[in-house]
Amino acid sequence: MESRRFIGKLKHMKTKIAFTIICFAFIVTAIGQEKYATKTGQIKFEASVPSFEEVKAKNNDVSAVLDAATGKFAALALIKGFRFKVALMEEHFNENYVESSKYPRATFKGSIQDFNLANIAEKTEYVISGTFNMHGTDKTMDVPATISVDGDALLLTAKFVMQPEDFNIKIPSIVSNKIAEDVDVSVEFRLQKQ
Amino acid sequence: MKKQRLIVIIVVFLAIVGFFGYNYVYQDHRDIKTETSTLEITAPYLLERFKTNNAEELLNKTITVTGKISDVEENGITLNGSVYASFDNLTSEDKVGDKIKIKGRCIGYDELFDIVKIDQSTVVK
Repeated sequence: MESRRFIGKLKHMKTKIAFTIICFAFIVTAIGQEKYATKTGQIKFEASVPSFEEVKAKNNDVSAVLDAATGKFAALALIKGFRFKVALMEEHFNENYVESSKYPRATFKGSIQDFNLANIAEKTEYVISGTFNMHGTDKTMDVPATISVDGDALLLTAKFVMQPEDFNIKIPSIVSNKIAEDVDVSVEFRLQKQ
Repeated sequence: MKKQRLIVIIVVFLAIVGFFGYNYVYQDHRDIKTETSTLEITAPYLLERFKTNNAEELLNKTITVTGKISDVEENGITLNGSVYASFDNLTSEDKVGDKIKIKGRCIGYDELFDIVKIDQSTVVK
């Protein structure tokens, strides 16, 4: 009698636990739906000097994730994915400047200031504060960006300037007059709702 | 006479230097499609290799990856949720669930998606 009651209690506990797990699973998926992400973001950079060969590259396989609930944003570019028009320039970029075998990734981790998904139709200009990591060096930066709604995706674009020396990337003096000191970077992410 | 000969030699020499110099500076890009792959590997195992020992030696190498399609996007196919292959021009009509063999250039491990990426991919028939 006593043991039967105990088993009954146990069964009741089991359903309770199951119920809690199911609730928790729902909450987790609800939070999960606040994520926007892409694997095919685009980063372009240009460091051309007039009347010399253009120094320009593009990467179409950049990953980025935005947590719409908190405004946390992260992006990751594989350095080998940057493609130049001139093959030799691409080789030099990888082997001599960014040393992409040693440092294969460039990352950005930060958060979008005053981000609120509900007000995104009214406000499109944001500042993303965070840290770049490239060539084994960290740099904190505030990046101005525009974010707009595009169907069920968010379109994030940004334009900013970087200096190779900030990331301890040395440009040999023989070519330094052919490569601009300020590198113009432009970013375009179409973040799909996950 | 001697001077003339010297000029001809110099011109020919400069032309040769210029020719090879130009070809060196403006050499063609690699053609991943026609390169022979150095390794054939399943998608989950490729991811495993990057996670356990960084697999630096595979970077920039042309490799063949086999697996089951877990996602198809515009110009990209994901294999077993562990390898993302980007295509310059995706024309394949393969669907999610199909087994596929893809050749491409390994560009590294993406820790945001926990995925290995290859680019300039082509489907191997």
